[in-house]
Amino acid sequence: MKLKKKKGQSHEPLSPELRATLPKVNINDLVVSIKYYVDEDFAHIQIRDHSVCTRCATKPCLDFCPVQVFTADAQGKIMVGYQACVECGSCRIGCPLKNVDWQLPRGGHGVAYKFG
Amino acid sequence: MATKHTFDAIVVGGGPAGTAAALTMARSGLKTILIERGNFVGAKNFFGGVMYTHAIADLLPDFWERTPPFERPLTEQGYWMLAPDSVVRMTHKSEHYKHEPADAYTVLRAQFDPWLAEQASKAGALVVTRTAVLRVLQDSKGKVIGVRTDRPDGDVYAPIVIIAEGVNNLLTQRLGLIKNDLPPRFVALAVKEYISLPAKDIQARFGLTGANEGAAIDIFGDATMGLPGTAFLYTDKAGISIGVGMLLDEFIQHKLRPYEVLARFKNHPVIQPYLEGGKPFEYGAHLIPETGYDRMPKLAADGVMVAGDAAGMVDALHREGTNLAMTAGRMAGLTAIKAHQAGDFSATFLNQYRQDLENSFVLKDMKQYRRMTDFLDTTPHFMGTYANFLNDVALRYFTAHGIPKRDMERQIVGMLQERRSFFGVAQDMVKLLRAMRG
Repeated sequence: MKLKKKKGQSHEPLSPELRATLPKVNINDLVVSIKYYVDEDFAHIQIRDHSVCTRCATKPCLDFCPVQVFTADAQGKIMVGYQACVECGSCRIGCPLKNVDWQLPRGGHGVAYKFG
Repeated sequence: MATKHTFDAIVVGGGPAGTAAALTMARSGLKTILIERGNFVGAKNFFGGVMYTHAIADLLPDFWERTPPFERPLTEQGYWMLAPDSVVRMTHKSEHYKHEPADAYTVLRAQFDPWLAEQASKAGALVVTRTAVLRVLQDSKGKVIGVRTDRPDGDVYAPIVIIAEGVNNLLTQRLGLIKNDLPPRFVALAVKEYISLPAKDIQARFGLTGANEGAAIDIFGDATMGLPGTAFLYTDKAGISIGVGMLLDEFIQHKLRPYEVLARFKNHPVIQPYLEGGKPFEYGAHLIPETGYDRMPKLAADGVMVAGDAAGMVDALHREGTNLAMTAGRMAGLTAIKAHQAGDFSATFLNQYRQDLENSFVLKDMKQYRRMTDFLDTTPHFMGTYANFLNDVALRYFTAHGIPKRDMERQIVGMLQERRSFFGVAQDMVKLLRAMRG
């Protein structure tokens, strides 16, 4: 499967100078503020087929996930830390190869915002 | 044998759409169940922060006496156009916003949504939390007859099901009410931090006289690195809600991390002083369906209606969503009541709901702004180019150089032409006008 060419104007790449203005953020500093009822027995997000990810050149999930659920191990294999998931659905929609099996956490589990 | 759980109506999802539907139906005497997967109603709900009271008043005329947990009334609203080191502000502050109840309030959803669910509960709805709906049950002809939950013995039956499951509309998709999942260019990803700050500091920084005033600022340009999207700065009672949102496709194409874009925005020299000394209390993220009028799911089929984010009911331009959802939920509820009176739960009958929405602001606005997402998608330079231009114009305009003003005006025109050709500007304006006029 190839990435579909999008309609309309193509995205001009960001200039390196602009990209350099992004501060580094330790995601854990943000995730600690979120309350979860973690379901240790059920991973509601899974990679359907790891071999598909190895064919994925861009691996955008590593970046766009707002809580960095997806990380790559030393071999480049995608690891899923579903415990930090805020159930936004970005990976379900944003995975270019539709390789994320995205389900709802079981009732009463997952994120529970204190402020929202 | 297990008992069969039967209701007059089932609502899936405890957001504003679902709760409004449940409240409406329960109040008229329908035996109604509201099923919410979160630990409490509101646990999964997350937004920027502005709630409009017209939709609440339509649902609950006496809502003010029921002391809703609002944060601050909006007495100043507007836009900031951000360049990397400057800002052009256009906000509106008025004494006319100061009436009770006000037209709009900032709100924290983990407090507001439970309050709304409590009103549904008081009206007689059975509110069941910690229960996920796995699938919708249909008879052999495809008519919806109930839902399967993840509780043991968890099938629930009703002649009418209102789906208000939110932006991740898996049930809506599985029912075939929408053909394809949303592509990443028709959905926005927003991240927000709620930052605790003493009320007196908020008031001093935003120029507010007390807790009876509040500001909601939407920010463009450098806030999203010039990419299509918006950022916001809203005042709560004793905190600030600050966030950024962009089309998911922008994050994907540019390999951007949402929390880094937010951190960059927070560090901006114009923004930073507002947050100084604040304590980050909560971070979160949510998708916003920018589905648009033309790509909405079917809103009714045999035995089922869809409302709220699940149906893409968002007016991104005016950052409205919960009021569309609440209105749609109420209208779906009213149609369900009529369906019970008529004993007719067919798609044809339930299409009354669609008609009611077409006659209301919900679908009228969505129709008017049907090209908005396409506009952002096809003019990705728009926000950055013009926000920077405005800032440069301001700097030039407000600085005296000892040259005739006529020359200054020519310089300003030249500054625009450096950025965008005459035809480019004309094209942008035509596109913008078309997106605004529908």
